[in-house]
Amino acid sequence: MELAYAMNKSAAGAEIKEKSHNAAAGNMTLLDAEPGQTYIIKEINTDDDDMNSFLFRLGCYQGEPITLISKKKKSCIVVIKDGRYNLDKMLSEAIII
Amino acid sequence: MRIAFAGNPNSGKTTMYNALTGRNEKIGNWGGVTVGSKEFQLKKEFAGDREVIAVDLPGAYSMSPFTPEEGITSEYVRTANPDAIVNIVDATNLSRSLFFTTQLLELGIPVVVALNKTDINEKEGTKIDVAKLSEKLNCPVFETVSTENKGLSEMIAKAISLAGTTQEAPYLQADIDLHDKNAVDAEDRKRYSFVNGIVADVETRKTMSAETTSADKVDGILTNPIAGILVFAVVMWGVFWVSQAWLGPLVADWLVGWIETFQGWVAAQLENSPAILSALLADGIVGGVGAVVGFLPLVMVMYFLIALLEDCGYMARVSAVMDPIFKRVGLSGKSVIPVVIGTGCGIPAIMACRTIRDERERRATSMLTTFIPCGAKIPVIALFAGAFFNGAGWVSTLSYFLGLVLIFLGALLIKGITGYKYRKSFFIMELPKWKAPSLKFAFKSMMERAKAYIIKAATIILICNTVVQIMQTFDWHFQVVEEGAENTSILASIASPFAILLIPLGFGVWQLAAAAITGFIAKENVVGTLAVVYALTSFIDTEELAMTGGANTVAATMGLTSVTALAYLFFNLYTPPCFAAIGAMNSEMKSRGWLWGAIGLQLGTGYTIAFLINQFGTLFTEGHFAAGFVPGLIAEVCMVAAVVLIGKRVRAHFDEQYQLHKASKAAKAAASYIEVLN
Repeated sequence: MELAYAMNKSAAGAEIKEKSHNAAAGNMTLLDAEPGQTYIIKEINTDDDDMNSFLFRLGCYQGEPITLISKKKKSCIVVIKDGRYNLDKMLSEAIII
Repeated sequence: MRIAFAGNPNSGKTTMYNALTGRNEKIGNWGGVTVGSKEFQLKKEFAGDREVIAVDLPGAYSMSPFTPEEGITSEYVRTANPDAIVNIVDATNLSRSLFFTTQLLELGIPVVVALNKTDINEKEGTKIDVAKLSEKLNCPVFETVSTENKGLSEMIAKAISLAGTTQEAPYLQADIDLHDKNAVDAEDRKRYSFVNGIVADVETRKTMSAETTSADKVDGILTNPIAGILVFAVVMWGVFWVSQAWLGPLVADWLVGWIETFQGWVAAQLENSPAILSALLADGIVGGVGAVVGFLPLVMVMYFLIALLEDCGYMARVSAVMDPIFKRVGLSGKSVIPVVIGTGCGIPAIMACRTIRDERERRATSMLTTFIPCGAKIPVIALFAGAFFNGAGWVSTLSYFLGLVLIFLGALLIKGITGYKYRKSFFIMELPKWKAPSLKFAFKSMMERAKAYIIKAATIILICNTVVQIMQTFDWHFQVVEEGAENTSILASIASPFAILLIPLGFGVWQLAAAAITGFIAKENVVGTLAVVYALTSFIDTEELAMTGGANTVAATMGLTSVTALAYLFFNLYTPPCFAAIGAMNSEMKSRGWLWGAIGLQLGTGYTIAFLINQFGTLFTEGHFAAGFVPGLIAEVCMVAAVVLIGKRVRAHFDEQYQLHKASKAAKAAASYIEVLN
């Protein structure tokens, strides 16, 4: 039990570090965006080449505009090109604007 | 001559294909309805005297497949050498669609662009300069509205006339090393900027896509984790209520009256014939098949309503709102669509799993989706609800709800056994524009289903009923079984060994075992066989059902209490689906291990649910456990042991793989660390 707790703690610590690193670099993900605003995509960071290229084909890639329509705790709705998409949390956080 | 229909998901390919061929293939307002290729001859009015085959393909965003069904499309246009390609372009999303168009134009096969859904553009004030677009793409472009047959004949005539010619591409990808990711990326970017240039030139928009509209507010509610799920629950409850408690039974009452009149007429015609013949024809064939057909209206109304749901664009929203919940059990929002389709029929539901990208998720969904009672199980539910529970609506509601619960539990079990792989599971779902559902399409979908149902009743179910009737009329010496010696019939001697296994579940008699077995051929058979073996064709008589007396007769004849009846119903609902669905599962899973796992899981689930209901229900109502508690418990313990054993084996294998994975990951991390240092 204790070991598991310690592991959790260290995992949480790592996450915090990563976040502060993101903030230091001025990285903002879709989940930090304001609904109704259009942003330019800085980077797509899914760690998954196939997913990246799939997003690319939808018109979601570096330098292209993306508009946040609404967001919830675990998902958001965006406009890419002329289509509306629902993205889950993991994907929203992988899109840096 | 073959003409392939290709384009982005949800651009209207199948709607156009249906209009041109007169077929009734499944359509719906979300991306990924069509998951396999289909082909059929064009109607005479479009093809003239020539034989032209239209090939409908699943939607794709590009030539590089992301999900299995996208692969079918790129594979087909690359290798099957169609004589021409009709590229259906969603005119409301030109900027995305033309990426694929420019790739198709490079193949050398003549391409005709069908600029579909132009009616929506007209409404929204978006204008596309067709002549200019045609010039830029170097191929003919036609404005079409598939739902209204607009522009189709000119478009297809052009495609036919171009067949066999070669296409000059307006944009050619440079010769690059396709293994070099950066080079491919750079080329794709160039292609997109070429497309963006065209769009900027030909399209003028009055309403910008990024503006928030009233539809967005609706979507906000429907994708809200609380309100959205509540709406979904109410909508589905409404579908079941209308089809199974209100409108469906209303029509069924009327139909059953006709069937009984017909049965009486047949019996009267056979008055002077031998008793066996009359029993076979009037009770066996007309009665058994009639018992099944009597429930047809319930299924038809249900199909009509589901078709309306599929056509309006709601499915994508359901998928989005359910995603976080399904993620918790190791599935995703994409698994919801098969589940909803599964309320109609398990086979298309299992095939719909193809749109799920992750293999484990795809297999798990196709394994679990049939826990939701399909249209063929409606007669079984309706029969038991009517005969044992006074037609209570909660039986049907509970059946679907329990099905959903079993999907969740099953998904958790699979997650546990396979050792959930920590591959990131992303979810992205296009939310298509809302559209008023077409009553015409819903009606067609319903009639298509009715036709299939009647054909099934007149073939498979008819044959099964006849065989069952013959098997229970004769013994192994082909002597007619005498009254009081029914246990010597062929059917009884085959089904009896199985019946022993069912004793702990509360229905260990050969008649019920036989019905459950014929259910694997088609679930409607459960009703048909029960009607035949108990010669109780009139127990679907709705008037009798209204009286408890009638239901009591049925209950007494079948020797079931309300507890064991419920156990038997759920046993039939949650054991493996029909063989056709198991076949579909086999072709989607592409793995022996998974298929047997699925059958085992379903058998185990059906057995366990029936066991628990029977034993605890009896304990509750009569104060003691039912017969066969200990043997049943032993069977359950064996099942748990089997699950643990399989889990251990799979995990051991998985750990081996994971070790390798970890090693490569560590190397990667080290590399990136060095990079940072530098």
